[in-house]
Amino acid sequence: MSNFKRIGEVYSLDVTLDEARILINVVEQLLELLGEGDFFHHYDASDPFAQLMSVPSEVVAPDDPVLMRLLPNGYADSEAAGDFRRYTEGSIRTSKQRALRELRTQLAILVDNGSAGTVEGIDSDTWLLALNDLRLALGVRLDIATESFEFFESLPDENPQKSIFAVYYWLGWLQGNLLDLL
Amino acid sequence: MDVGSGLGDVATLTDFDAELYELLDRPWICIVWDDPINLMSYVTFVLQKIFSFSKEKAHELMMQVHNEGRAVVATGSREEMERNVQKLHEHGLWATLARDDKI
Repeated sequence: MSNFKRIGEVYSLDVTLDEARILINVVEQLLELLGEGDFFHHYDASDPFAQLMSVPSEVVAPDDPVLMRLLPNGYADSEAAGDFRRYTEGSIRTSKQRALRELRTQLAILVDNGSAGTVEGIDSDTWLLALNDLRLALGVRLDIATESFEFFESLPDENPQKSIFAVYYWLGWLQGNLLDLL
Repeated sequence: MDVGSGLGDVATLTDFDAELYELLDRPWICIVWDDPINLMSYVTFVLQKIFSFSKEKAHELMMQVHNEGRAVVATGSREEMERNVQKLHEHGLWATLARDDKI
């Protein structure tokens, strides 16, 4: 099981190759969903984890529930919310992309080498933000608001929802592990 | 701080005036809403980071969000509250701003 470590203010993460691949996979899918598609991918369509987020063909999809959760309205009033979005959404999107790109760069070293190892030089704030956005994305896709832990545990192994939930649960464990070290 | 000409000078400021001044001067609130996904420890961390709250204060507000569905985490000008909501959204918390309905 992967684990964050802290020495002074320096954080690192030991991961297996499979864990690094799953992480970089969801990071790249979320980058695409946030509108950044122009990069080499570390997964292909045959990868069982390739479709965790069912990336829509249209990147700017205000009716996509994941995007609405990551970039929510700032006001209850729709006109004020529209104005607020016009001024803020770009920079909110950029800060999320920046964090995800940093994870991607750090994970790519291991994935490209095809080996387990340690992600060094982790910025805890960046990783917490990105891990949280990944959990939000998967949690919305899983409809965590209405489904229980027991529901996902009771699904047959071949149900893709069960795999997505396993990743979601693991990301929560990772984020909690990093928070405990602060 | 300039309290403006309509509210009397400090020496004659009544409790009512002071309250009115407070409401007129700080009419916007920043609200964090409960969310089934965010970890409680993460919400506490974000509130500490953005608002420089003590761990106890951040924990208390997080528990209020968790138990009551929402909590007002900041009060001030519209511009300040918009910046707060933007930072909260950057960190993945669900937040909105509104005019304080005490007015």
